[in-house]
Amino acid sequence: MVELETNRGVIVLELHAEKAPKTVANFLAYARDGFFADTIFHRIIDGFMIQGGGFETDLRQKPTRPPIDNEANNGLRNSRGTIAMARTSDPHSATSQFFINVADNDFLNFTAPTSTGWGYCVFGQVSEGMEVVDTIKGAPTTSRGGYQDVPASDVIITAVRVV
Amino acid sequence: MAQAFIADLHLTAERPEAIGLLQQFLEQAQGRIETLYILGDLFEYWVGDDGAEEPEFAPVISALRRATDAGLAIAVMHGNRDFLLGSDFAKRSGCRLLEDPTPLSLYGVPTILSHGDALCTDDHDYLALRTQMRDPLWQRRVLSRPLSERIAMAHALRHESGQATYAKDAAILDVNPGAVTALLDRHRALRLIHGHTHRPGIYPAASGSGQATRIVVGDWYEGSSILTVGPCGQKLTPVADFLGAVADVISGENE
Repeated sequence: MVELETNRGVIVLELHAEKAPKTVANFLAYARDGFFADTIFHRIIDGFMIQGGGFETDLRQKPTRPPIDNEANNGLRNSRGTIAMARTSDPHSATSQFFINVADNDFLNFTAPTSTGWGYCVFGQVSEGMEVVDTIKGAPTTSRGGYQDVPASDVIITAVRVV
Repeated sequence: MAQAFIADLHLTAERPEAIGLLQQFLEQAQGRIETLYILGDLFEYWVGDDGAEEPEFAPVISALRRATDAGLAIAVMHGNRDFLLGSDFAKRSGCRLLEDPTPLSLYGVPTILSHGDALCTDDHDYLALRTQMRDPLWQRRVLSRPLSERIAMAHALRHESGQATYAKDAAILDVNPGAVTALLDRHRALRLIHGHTHRPGIYPAASGSGQATRIVVGDWYEGSSILTVGPCGQKLTPVADFLGAVADVISGENE
């Protein structure tokens, strides 16, 4: 279990190490390093997802570890309350950024091992604090520092504890 | 043979004359042009490759297919309007998709191809929108919507974008000279070819490697614009003068 402490409350995550071993190991490595402390949820789209784990409060991107293999073909679905890895258009490019689905986003699931079919790897589930996620998803957003859907006031991850 | 560069055709069913001009040009290009580079905004909008059979797009796809089947190589870069062009479009049309920016050596001159919108760094609102539109997560969400809904969204976006453009200072909508220099220097290039700004011309540009050139190919709204480059030079002309331009850049009668 992992506790994501934010300035809006605590989100508890249950990770699926058996289904997404590399992704979970990667996430835990960042968590144990203290990498996530003082990063923000930099992209919030109500009805879709909240994304974080890569930017500091001034929207500066943090240097990351090398990218990991995409394990989205593990049968886990991008349902409301799941956590998945964000990435670029390269399917195997996830590093530290993740998102929490706030709706059933079936179109993000794996369909084929192709550039458009790989989908997004789910590796855990919110087990407590979904009301915190729902508060965050409703936060007012703005356009800032070259990005859209940035929360008008920072949603900060203050600490991540592996328990 | 020569190479040709066009951009900002903004093809829609509303301007059949532009589609006709492209069809005619593609026939003329065969055997004269080795690769045709389309540097963004071939289409006024593109709602996903599953829309390729819409009457609006189908004639263009078939014209591209005829040309590529006949041996003309066509490389297509995403513009700010048709950023959803994907691998299925490439398969159907026989074109290959180009990264933005793409470096290439063009008759010995290190050259960069770009659509140009990413160089308009003074337009902060637009850059934020661009980042979102290029985000694969966002794209995947858009593409999951029904085709009819995406078409309606595209029409709404076109309307909004038109209004935003009219309201903005002209200087903001041009490329930022510093961004141009940075791009040239990153690739050690001496020539940049782009579209997007709708200000066709051959302009000097500063670069760390010496005097560079920035060539802007114009749009196909009122007129048309094409850059033809060959072993003996380059010519930026309307499409109607393409045959003369090819002869000049190949035979050396370029000024």
